[in-house]
Amino acid sequence: MTDETTITKTVDVRGEICPYPDMKTMVALKKMKQGEVLEVLMDYPLSIERIPRSLKKKKHNLLSVVQIEGPDHRLLIEAYGLK
Amino acid sequence: MNTLILGGLAVGIIFGFALQRGRFCMNSAFRDIITLEDFTLLKSVGAAILVSMLGFTIMSQTGAITLNPKPLFWGANMVGGFIFGIGMVLAGGCASGITYRVGEGMVGSLVAVIGLATAGTLTAMGFLKPIKDFLQSSTKIVESEGVNMTLANWLGLPHATVAYSIIALAVILWWALGLKNEDIRLGNKSWTKRIFKSSWNWWATGVVIGIVEMIAYISSALAGRNYPLGITAGWITIVKVGLPGVEASMNWVAWLVIGIIAGAAIAALIADEFKIRVPKGGVLLQIFIGSLLMGFGAVTSGGCNVTHILSGIPMLSLGSLLGGLFIVLGAWVTAWWMFVRPMQS
Repeated sequence: MTDETTITKTVDVRGEICPYPDMKTMVALKKMKQGEVLEVLMDYPLSIERIPRSLKKKKHNLLSVVQIEGPDHRLLIEAYGLK
Repeated sequence: MNTLILGGLAVGIIFGFALQRGRFCMNSAFRDIITLEDFTLLKSVGAAILVSMLGFTIMSQTGAITLNPKPLFWGANMVGGFIFGIGMVLAGGCASGITYRVGEGMVGSLVAVIGLATAGTLTAMGFLKPIKDFLQSSTKIVESEGVNMTLANWLGLPHATVAYSIIALAVILWWALGLKNEDIRLGNKSWTKRIFKSSWNWWATGVVIGIVEMIAYISSALAGRNYPLGITAGWITIVKVGLPGVEASMNWVAWLVIGIIAGAAIAALIADEFKIRVPKGGVLLQIFIGSLLMGFGAVTSGGCNVTHILSGIPMLSLGSLLGGLFIVLGAWVTAWWMFVRPMQS
C-alpha cells in the first residue's frame, strides 16, 4: 500500500471532534509543497466523507482511503501546493 | 404509566438511526458553509424542513394534528439563539448531533449532553430562571390572546397558502439553480447495503427526517404533548426524574432522547462505526463550556435547533424563525473566530 509512496507528514486526528479532523488536515496541506504526501488517521465518519469534497475544491489529490478497523481510516493525500 | 409515552422511544430509535446514517448535524450544516464551503448538510436540513412543512400543513388541514407554533419573545429568541449558536460550535454539535453521537461512542458528546442538561435545568428551574423569565416576558408579542405569531397570521394570509408558496418557491429555485450540479442517482448498490452500510445521501436523509417529524407529531400528541421533535426538554426531564425532591416522571420527549441514542448505536454497530472515542482534556473543557451555553440558550430561546429549526420553522412560528436565525448567526461568528480567522493568518 505504501510501497511506492513516500509520506512527508502524518496527522493523527483520531478522537477529535467536529470539525477539527477537517481543519487540521486542510491546514497541514496548506503548508505542504506540491507532490508531498500527507497521511491522515481519522475515525470520525462525517469527516471521512466530507474531506474528499473539500480536497477537490482545493485541488489536492486524494490517493487512497483505507479502513484500518471499525471507524478508523487512513487517508493518503497528495498536496496541490500553493507555494 | 401512560404507555403512549413509549411512542417517543420508538420514534427516537428511527430518528437516531437516520441521524447517524445521514451524519445529520445542524452545527456542521451551518458552520461548514463558512469553514469548508460545503453545503451538503445544509441541503439536508432544507429538505427536512420542506418535507415537514408539507406534512404538517396537510395533516393540519385534514385534522390529524393541531398546529402548535412556539411563542415569539423576540429578545429571548435572539439572545438565547445566539448563545446557543456559540455553544454548539464550541461543543462540536447541535442538540441532536451531540445526542446521537453518544450512541456512536463519543465521550465528548456525552460530556456535552451532561452540560446541556445541567444548564438547561438551571435555566428552567434553577438560579438562571429569572434571566430567562425576564427576557421572555418583557419581549413577548402575541397575535391575539392565546394565539402565537406565525409568518401566516403576521402577513394576514391563510397558513396553507404561505406554507405551500414557500415549498413551491423552494422547489422551483432548486430546480432552476441547483439541480444541474447535483448527482442524485442512487447507484446500483443493494438496498440492504444502501440503508445499513453506506451513509445516506443528503436528500434521502432530509426526506426521512421530515417523515420522522410527521410520525413524531402524531405519536407525541397521542401521549398528550402537542409538539413534534425536541431534544433539550427531554434531557431536562431526565435530570428532573433523577433529582431528589423534584416531582417528575418520564414523558414522551424524554423517551425520545433515549431512543435516539439507542437508534444511533444500532446504526453505528451495524455499519462498524461504533468506537469509544475520548478527546483530549482541553477539548473536553471546551465542549463542556459550549454545552452549558447551549443549555442556557435553548431554554431561554424557547427551544434548541430541533425545536426551532426542524419543528418550529415548518409551523411558520416567528419565534422559531428568529430563534433559528440567531442560532445560525451565533454559530457563524464563533466558527469564523475559531476556524476561519486562524487559517487566514
